Amino acid sequence: MNIVVCVKHIPDPNLPPEMDGTRLKREGVQGVLDPGDEFGVEAGLQLKEQHGGEVTLVSMGPPAAREAITRGLSMGADKGILVSDDALQNADALVTARVLAAAIKRAEFDLVIAGVESTDGYTGTMPATLAEFLDVPMITFVKELENAEGNLKVDRQTADGYHVVEAPLPALITVTAGVNEPRYASFKGIMAAKKKPVDELSLADLGLSGDDVASKQTVKELSPAEERKAGEVVEDDGTAAEKIADFLAEAKVI
Amino acid sequence: MDLSIPEEYRQLQADLGSFIDRELRPLEEEHLDPEEDEIPVELAHRVRRRAAELGFYAADFPEDLGGSGLPALGMVLLRETAWSSGSRLAAFATYGPEGPTGVLLAGTDEQKKRYLTPLITAEKSMCFALTEPHAGSDAQNIKTRARKDGEEWVLNGTKHFITNGKHADFALVFAANDPEKKAQGGITAFIVEKDTPGFAVGRAQRGMVDGEAQFELVFDDCRVPEENVLGGPENVGMGFYAAMQFLAMGRLSIAAMCNGIAQFAFDAGLRYAKDREAFDRPIGKNQYVQGHIVESLIRLKAAKLMTYECAWKYDQGDPVVQESSIVKLYASEMVNDVVDRMIQVHGGMGWMRELPLERLYRFVRIFTLVEGTSEIQRYIIAKTLGL
Repeated sequence: MNIVVCVKHIPDPNLPPEMDGTRLKREGVQGVLDPGDEFGVEAGLQLKEQHGGEVTLVSMGPPAAREAITRGLSMGADKGILVSDDALQNADALVTARVLAAAIKRAEFDLVIAGVESTDGYTGTMPATLAEFLDVPMITFVKELENAEGNLKVDRQTADGYHVVEAPLPALITVTAGVNEPRYASFKGIMAAKKKPVDELSLADLGLSGDDVASKQTVKELSPAEERKAGEVVEDDGTAAEKIADFLAEAKVI
Repeated sequence: MDLSIPEEYRQLQADLGSFIDRELRPLEEEHLDPEEDEIPVELAHRVRRRAAELGFYAADFPEDLGGSGLPALGMVLLRETAWSSGSRLAAFATYGPEGPTGVLLAGTDEQKKRYLTPLITAEKSMCFALTEPHAGSDAQNIKTRARKDGEEWVLNGTKHFITNGKHADFALVFAANDPEKKAQGGITAFIVEKDTPGFAVGRAQRGMVDGEAQFELVFDDCRVPEENVLGGPENVGMGFYAAMQFLAMGRLSIAAMCNGIAQFAFDAGLRYAKDREAFDRPIGKNQYVQGHIVESLIRLKAAKLMTYECAWKYDQGDPVVQESSIVKLYASEMVNDVVDRMIQVHGGMGWMRELPLERLYRFVRIFTLVEGTSEIQRYIIAKTLGL
């Protein structure tokens, strides 16, 4: 089974974000493999363990994004593809999907796995766009998956339960955070990752031109989220319980 | 000169950190009473097994024996990460005296496979039986005797302060086969399995930290087959040499633990100095408090740098005789000072069992005593200077 996992290198979400105009500062800051993508890598590795085959990691980003691929390789993936090109600096989700599709189409694949959304941009639109470019069925919010002889059978998380959905392969799925326990990398894994192949491709290698990757969206303005207001302190003068009950009733909690 | 931590070690540290956060902290919350010292033996064993499965526990042992071939610098960093987490179960994520010892690398291939590998995978545990009531630092004056009888050796004597003595699957016992020769060919290391007739675990010896960790071991006409001489029958009398070869790694391990614990205490002290207010301002605005924080930081940084340098040199094949003694001496004295100062920063709260500092204060006292006392380290360092 040839499994492709989309991975993204993002500024460490545990550190305060640094801005560069309307863009998140990506260079010269501590970067990591998007924690949401670790679940996708783990899902891919589990499928490989059950069915054999290969796990290929695909990413688009500046040269430093190789770190995210290396991380996935040290968890056990087999090889990586990094598309890096100065013309991609302002890429929106549509451009990203177009580029990733071109990179993925270079080889045969059975399944593409992506996170539901990235932990930095949060558009959540890239996987669906990618499925469209690849012309494959897409199943979102996957929590369990099984490959039954070329047919993908998944449990798809919903607000009040789950759907059981089947799709023929090749297909694209998005996995939610928490569906599995992403494995830790061992020293052996980390050292082995250094020897695994990573193809670094430019737009020209993919047969794409500057026009193909001109973003249609621009971020005009950024403003910080409103700070949380201080809570209301209820001094107990004998009526506190009543006041709290009223507050909860007003909030329709009780 | 590049002093940055290599990326592969940084990643490994991050992974150990995730393991501690994701698996050990919840386990700790469920099973440990924060105000009691004792940690159930089964729980420690469970953590060791899991850490070994993930490749952290004894990562510095060779790959063909079940380790990962991690260099000493990597192991020092892993150990520091475990101990700086403040998680009490993380103490078992890298091996201690119950785990594999480099001394067993002096064993025959058969001995390494049979005894060392199960220690590396944490399926079994051992104890290192050298110290005796009348021979601690002066280890070559041990009184336990080994007498040859046919194809067996007969051991007689008493060991004490033996960590994990009660639970060990086997003991690595040092005994004098020729007391006259002492270290020069007179001391042999024997692998003695748990149920060998004549081998008994004596009383538990309690220390500053509650719980049974150290034990007496008694050998009374204990018969050990010749093939259990460490390194095989031709290595009779070579036990002391084998032990000496691996002292540096033991000292580095102690230093790494001290650095980790000091980092944890320092972080707690700094946080408290910023948060705790007295006389309408954070106590960290007071110069006496600042002094404790700053002195601690400087000593901790010095200890870490010398530990990393020593480990790096060791990885280049240097025997680090002087360096490992300096590192062990400095780090063990540093951690006692830092924990003491951080308790002072916390005031009365630091003395309370509600916080982990008082336990650490009792715990770290052992580090200037084990693996060569501070006095012995100073003696060794002086000797390396030709004094």
